[in-house]
Amino acid sequence: MPSIDQVKNDLKEKFKSTIKGFETPLPTRLFVDVDKKNIRAICNAVIDMGARYMVSIGYDNIARDNTLGLVHTFSFDKDNIFCCVRTKVPADKPMLDSITPDIPNAGWSEREYMDLLGMQFEGHPKPKRLILADDWPKGVYPLRKEVPWNLMPPAAEDVAYQLDEAPEGCTTVPIGPFHPTLHEPAHFAVYVDGETIKGCDYRGFMTHRGIEKLCTTQVTYNEVPFIAERICGICGSVHATSYSQSVELAAGIKISRKAEYIRTFMLELERVHSHLLWLGVAGHLIGFDTVFMHSWRVREPVMWLAEKITGNRKTYGMIIIGGVRRDILPFKEDILNVMDKVEKELIAIKNAIVGDTAIHRRTKDVGYVSKEDTIKWSLVGPVARARGVDIDTRRDHPYAAYDAVQFDVPVVDTCDVWGTVLIRILETFESIKIIRQVLRDMPVDETLLYEFDEPIKPLVHSISAVEAPRGEVVHYLITGEENRADRWRVRAPTYPNLQGVPLMLLNNQLADAPIIIGSIDPCFSCTDRMAMVDLKTGRQSILTNEELERLSRSKKV
Amino acid sequence: MWLTSKIKQLFVVAKPGTVTLPYPFEPRPVPENYRGQPYWDHHKCIGCGGCANHCPARTILVRDLCNELRVMMYDGSRCTYCGRCADLCPEKAITMTPQYELATDDKRDINETMELFMLTCQRCGRCFDHEIKNAIDKLAYLGYRYDNLEMRAVIPVSSQTFDKELYEKTKTYKRPEKIGE
Repeated sequence: MPSIDQVKNDLKEKFKSTIKGFETPLPTRLFVDVDKKNIRAICNAVIDMGARYMVSIGYDNIARDNTLGLVHTFSFDKDNIFCCVRTKVPADKPMLDSITPDIPNAGWSEREYMDLLGMQFEGHPKPKRLILADDWPKGVYPLRKEVPWNLMPPAAEDVAYQLDEAPEGCTTVPIGPFHPTLHEPAHFAVYVDGETIKGCDYRGFMTHRGIEKLCTTQVTYNEVPFIAERICGICGSVHATSYSQSVELAAGIKISRKAEYIRTFMLELERVHSHLLWLGVAGHLIGFDTVFMHSWRVREPVMWLAEKITGNRKTYGMIIIGGVRRDILPFKEDILNVMDKVEKELIAIKNAIVGDTAIHRRTKDVGYVSKEDTIKWSLVGPVARARGVDIDTRRDHPYAAYDAVQFDVPVVDTCDVWGTVLIRILETFESIKIIRQVLRDMPVDETLLYEFDEPIKPLVHSISAVEAPRGEVVHYLITGEENRADRWRVRAPTYPNLQGVPLMLLNNQLADAPIIIGSIDPCFSCTDRMAMVDLKTGRQSILTNEELERLSRSKKV
Repeated sequence: MWLTSKIKQLFVVAKPGTVTLPYPFEPRPVPENYRGQPYWDHHKCIGCGGCANHCPARTILVRDLCNELRVMMYDGSRCTYCGRCADLCPEKAITMTPQYELATDDKRDINETMELFMLTCQRCGRCFDHEIKNAIDKLAYLGYRYDNLEMRAVIPVSSQTFDKELYEKTKTYKRPEKIGE
């Protein structure tokens, strides 16, 4: 159980002069400035103290001191500490030790900054292109400040991503980019030996919308919550809350207690409908459409309730910096009625699912990942909780009004897809419980929105995490001049979880691949939020009917 | 076990009956404070540009044609219906109507343009020192970019319109290798 001082002392003792300084703007936030030489050892030391890797943030600081910055962030879940290890490298020689060999989940973050900032990581096991389109010109790093936000180089023909070599004796089965089970574009190349999956390569990031660059160049702080909300189709309030919290932390704004309760309510309402949606999708993926129809039927009153309260079914637009926009108290009766109804119907659905042997056979022992591997790969959310890892940002790092409500964090250790089904059903009941408490305890007369006029100081770092229905969302913000952020990094829960998918797929049957991929509740748009523009690329070739037939019959890929 | 769960499911399924709404024939009424298509009341609007300043999607564009004439245009094709403009309007000239059936084959159908006659200063005869330092700039928080009607071209065409030099340069960039090379 390290306290923030213990972490400081430990690091100072071990690494002495390579630690350049500490900064603790809040009792729960620790920023450590380190020399780039020892970055790998320091990150390992932090992990050894019991931390969980979250995400890395790269930023362009060329205009100020001709360096590129990199922040590795870690979370001490038992002690409510976020530890951010900051380092920088000269822009003309941005070489850095990779931490991926020890912390496999950092793989994507590092590949991201190879693409976007031109950093180089020594010892990275898979230094391939991740974010940018295949025909994006080499040497143009879109996240650097010198590159304009609307740069659109002409498309090039005949370039494609080189997939990993298939293991010997295996055949490649492509799933995606467009596939009925995926709902959003992403490409999985699954290597199969007979029916058994022996490996998997992923090529995604096909829905880059350049939101981070856009929001740090085109709009000001106040407009971003509405754009953040549109990062994801399901967990909109989560991103808006997380962004608003990070700005509030950086600027030192305290919002009213009532606004915090309303935020809690919005997040839980979102969790209820998201879990019901996922339950339906999961039923659909294993070919059990009755579950799909009925969990979505139960979900519909929740959507109508949201429409009544906020003015829209999904993009609520409730959360802004400094508070919330609308009150929920006038709808107290409606909310309680809908929650009673949802709870009653969900119990019926739960009983039907738990007793159904077909669902058990399709999900039990499918997508097995051991608890040790889950911790090693830093998986989050229901995926981790189904594998016996007891983490929940709502309880571990309380934000909004979560410190005042009582709820349980369901954890099961089946380590498979069945566990994620169970966790999500149980969490829905917990959410209903929280909503009732919020309505009971909420202050009645308090201002909803705190107005502030002082400019926000530039170059303040802040980090905020929120538990989304699918896992933990992390927003890292560096404030800038001109009333807009200098760097804003969004890490959606699918980002770490998708990296664990090859692990889950290993040694499973090909027919189970859809439900395994579906079990993490993948949200590719959240994950792909980065970069600048989306270019349509890839090789185009038109096959005639005969060619296609010949190819299919020759059984060669 | 298998049979009992199927019978349970039968009850779950049979109970609610038909839930599908007869939508296109009977449009569902929207709740009271629904955020549908915004509407500008040109009688109330004073042309302050506050809505344009706070629009997250930058759909409201402002242009001064001469000293007295200000054109405000709302581009509905990019609107996200957040309703921020209606919240902030000092004159309550903007209302979020309950209109949600906005599908159209011509996107100009959902645009709205207003030509506002602005008052001029009695001393100097001018309204604003516009283009360089207009009222939006003064009202605005820092960071607002002066929009104009032509700049709408930036959205679909992107850098081909704007960064001519850079665009030329990108043509000579080195590409990743072609397949099979």
